[in-house]
Amino acid sequence: MKRIKRYLLIYRECIRVAFASATTYRLNFFLNCIIMLLGDIVFPLITVLIYNSGAGFEGWSVYEVLLIQSIFTMSTALADMTFNGILWATMFAVREGNLEMALILPVDTMFILMARTFSIDAVGLFIGGFTIFTVSCINLPAPGIFMWLKAGALFITGLCVMMGIALFMAATSFKWVGNSRIPEIFESIKGFGKYPNNIFPKTVCIITSYLFPVAMIGYYPAAVLLGKEGSASFIVLIPCLLFLAAGILMYRYMVRLYQGVGG
Amino acid sequence: MKYIIHQLRIMKEVALVTYKEWSAYRTHSMVSIFVGPVYFIVQYFIWTAVYGGREQLNGMDLTQVIAYFGASTLIGYLTMDFADWNLQMLIHTGRFLTFALRPIHHRFFAFSQKLGHRFLGLIFEFIPCYFIFTLLFGIDITPKHVGWTLLSILLAFLMTFYIHYILGMTAFWFVQSSGIRRVFDLLSGIFSGVFIPLVFFPEGLQKALFFLPFPYMTYVPVMVYTGNFVLAGITMPIPVIVGLQAIAVAVVMLISEIIYRASMRRFNGVGA
Repeated sequence: MKRIKRYLLIYRECIRVAFASATTYRLNFFLNCIIMLLGDIVFPLITVLIYNSGAGFEGWSVYEVLLIQSIFTMSTALADMTFNGILWATMFAVREGNLEMALILPVDTMFILMARTFSIDAVGLFIGGFTIFTVSCINLPAPGIFMWLKAGALFITGLCVMMGIALFMAATSFKWVGNSRIPEIFESIKGFGKYPNNIFPKTVCIITSYLFPVAMIGYYPAAVLLGKEGSASFIVLIPCLLFLAAGILMYRYMVRLYQGVGG
Repeated sequence: MKYIIHQLRIMKEVALVTYKEWSAYRTHSMVSIFVGPVYFIVQYFIWTAVYGGREQLNGMDLTQVIAYFGASTLIGYLTMDFADWNLQMLIHTGRFLTFALRPIHHRFFAFSQKLGHRFLGLIFEFIPCYFIFTLLFGIDITPKHVGWTLLSILLAFLMTFYIHYILGMTAFWFVQSSGIRRVFDLLSGIFSGVFIPLVFFPEGLQKALFFLPFPYMTYVPVMVYTGNFVLAGITMPIPVIVGLQAIAVAVVMLISEIIYRASMRRFNGVGA
């Protein structure tokens, strides 16, 4: 209990530092917010353009697809704020050979790297995602309380998948030192999670639901909220949690292998 | 004549050195062998679902759209540019001063670097992905008019370079121009047709795009590649649109020269 309290205090301090930094570099923060917001409205824009041309995904209205993409955007924003920074922090530390500075601290290395890279830059992105989410919800039949609770649980699980991806990427950077294109590899796979699952062949659905469960980031929470997926979809929680556990184990394993060769 | 041969020799040497330098990081380029096809597969499924049983959407059929994304990915590997980042870094750190003193125009040097870097892209990105698209996915992405396609890609190569160089030159005024570059990258992604063919945009916007540099960087070469150019309801013969692209490149080159001269008058070696 004492340990958890200490970690929470550390995290609170890191958040405070992030806010202080954003306040100091206000223009940079403001620009980053706008750019991130604009950057992530590209996918909803494509969806709107497709539907405006009279086409669309069979069985899915424009607001239903926007709901998936807005949930994906909010999940990305929260991941960027809380744990995605671990990739760049790890990659930089390994390349420069100064990961030791984190290793000698009397706290968990993975935790401190995540906490130190807490960033509020993605708040604009979250607001953008939330706005699209609200607009979609207004234009769709209202879900019941139970559906909201189920969707909330799946959304949190989607965040676990995001964390697993961030940890896998960070772990890769221990061996593939300085390759700034590592995120592109994972980002390309995440593309499958931004659209309705039924547009993909069954094999792809199985992969994106059970092996590399990116469908949990946007599709499943939205589908549950829309009543398109029943309680059976909760079985996907297991591979998602296993994915996160594998990410944590992989990252810890790579930390143990680290020999300080950079610099 | 002697001057041209000398310049070509410099270009060859700079390109060769850049090629060798980046060859050490070839896996960096080879990431595209995974990313390109995965991105393409996603687009394939999205557009197959969008078309459903439809013959055409905005004047394009499904085969054309699939070929569009394949060609767009491949052409991107040939025209990709980071002259803006490089120039901004040189100005920011003051290292541009050493280039200002050299008996070689920095833009020419940067262009030669791009030639070497993109030759690497041709070998480690374009060729493998071309074979993956054609042999593995069975997509027909053979250029319909090889000569015009090559010319259009060359013009897109120049357009991308000059536009990015102009963006890099904004650092002479702002020192840190990363925000401007990021905004431009985003706009160029949307309006050059990387994410969606431009025929899906509202017609008024499509007309306006004729007067902006974005379509000449991706959309025009891709449409020339697929053998049929349409924008804002206007169907143009391939030689005409390539000619228009050449005019657009000439205008951008002129603007680049004007800004370069203004930059040189302003440059005071800040950061050195």
